[in-house]
Amino acid sequence: MCLENFSSQIAERHNKPEVEVRASKEVLLNPVVISRNDKERVLIETSVNSLRVSIAIKQADEIERILAHKFTRFLTQRAESFVILRRKPIEGYDISFLITNAHTEQMYKHKLVDFIIQFMEEVDKEISEMKLSLNARARIVSESYLSQFN
Amino acid sequence: MAFRKIDIDALEEDAFGEDEIDFQEIGELRPVADVDAQVNSRAQEVRSLLQRGNTSGALSTSLQNPPYGAPFHAAKARNTQTVMEVLNSIKVSDVPQLVKSLSPEEQDVLMKYLYAGMAAPEQNNSGHLLAWHEKLTEVAGQGCIVRVITDRRTV
Repeated sequence: MCLENFSSQIAERHNKPEVEVRASKEVLLNPVVISRNDKERVLIETSVNSLRVSIAIKQADEIERILAHKFTRFLTQRAESFVILRRKPIEGYDISFLITNAHTEQMYKHKLVDFIIQFMEEVDKEISEMKLSLNARARIVSESYLSQFN
Repeated sequence: MAFRKIDIDALEEDAFGEDEIDFQEIGELRPVADVDAQVNSRAQEVRSLLQRGNTSGALSTSLQNPPYGAPFHAAKARNTQTVMEVLNSIKVSDVPQLVKSLSPEEQDVLMKYLYAGMAAPEQNNSGHLLAWHEKLTEVAGQGCIVRVITDRRTV
């Protein structure tokens, strides 16, 4: 995470995350994909002044897909309070983080790394917990509803 | 750049391009057919080494002189496939000592192919590659990963 302040080479007096604009090739580094299987992937793209981490969350069935979608939507709508969260995920991924040199100057780098790793660990747990509680709730509702016809 | 439709910087003579690395590395662009032939013959050699059970020989042969640069897409895919064959035929328990026997250059190339393999999880066994990655990082350190990210000679 050696990000430095880097002004745009294309437009004078602009300073934008190079990994987003992709205007000058020489400041972009090779993107790296780390995958556990087809569904769970992490894409890391780096450049001279910014880096982007995109996560594809495990979605085994329809319920998990809906839960993951609602969950990431909840987070991205509050992107301002998460500072490094990208408002829109990269295509093919569920949630993206964009870290720029301003963030690494404001915050501790190792804490940023910890945050992303913790997020990745928690999100699977969170979704499977939500799935369990959703199933339990559905069972209770259906039981109480159908008991009226006894 | 909404106001400017033509990328005028790309027309300039010293613009940074994809195939620039080939000139830097080899001095001249090699013909595509030569590279294809080299990769195919290496695939044969590696396969015969594997059949004889010489896994360490197969691994280091498959990591020799990989095709770099933009025009060799077919050769790159073929060579990645060869390396994946070797990696999949090696047991996880043998990985640490094999990785230690590689030279630093070979370790970097291996790391490149590990990432190339993980980029296509539907074709390759990512779990196995992650085990390789863990062992290789233990031996070669994080510098190896950083060299993969920064190296223009992609595989």
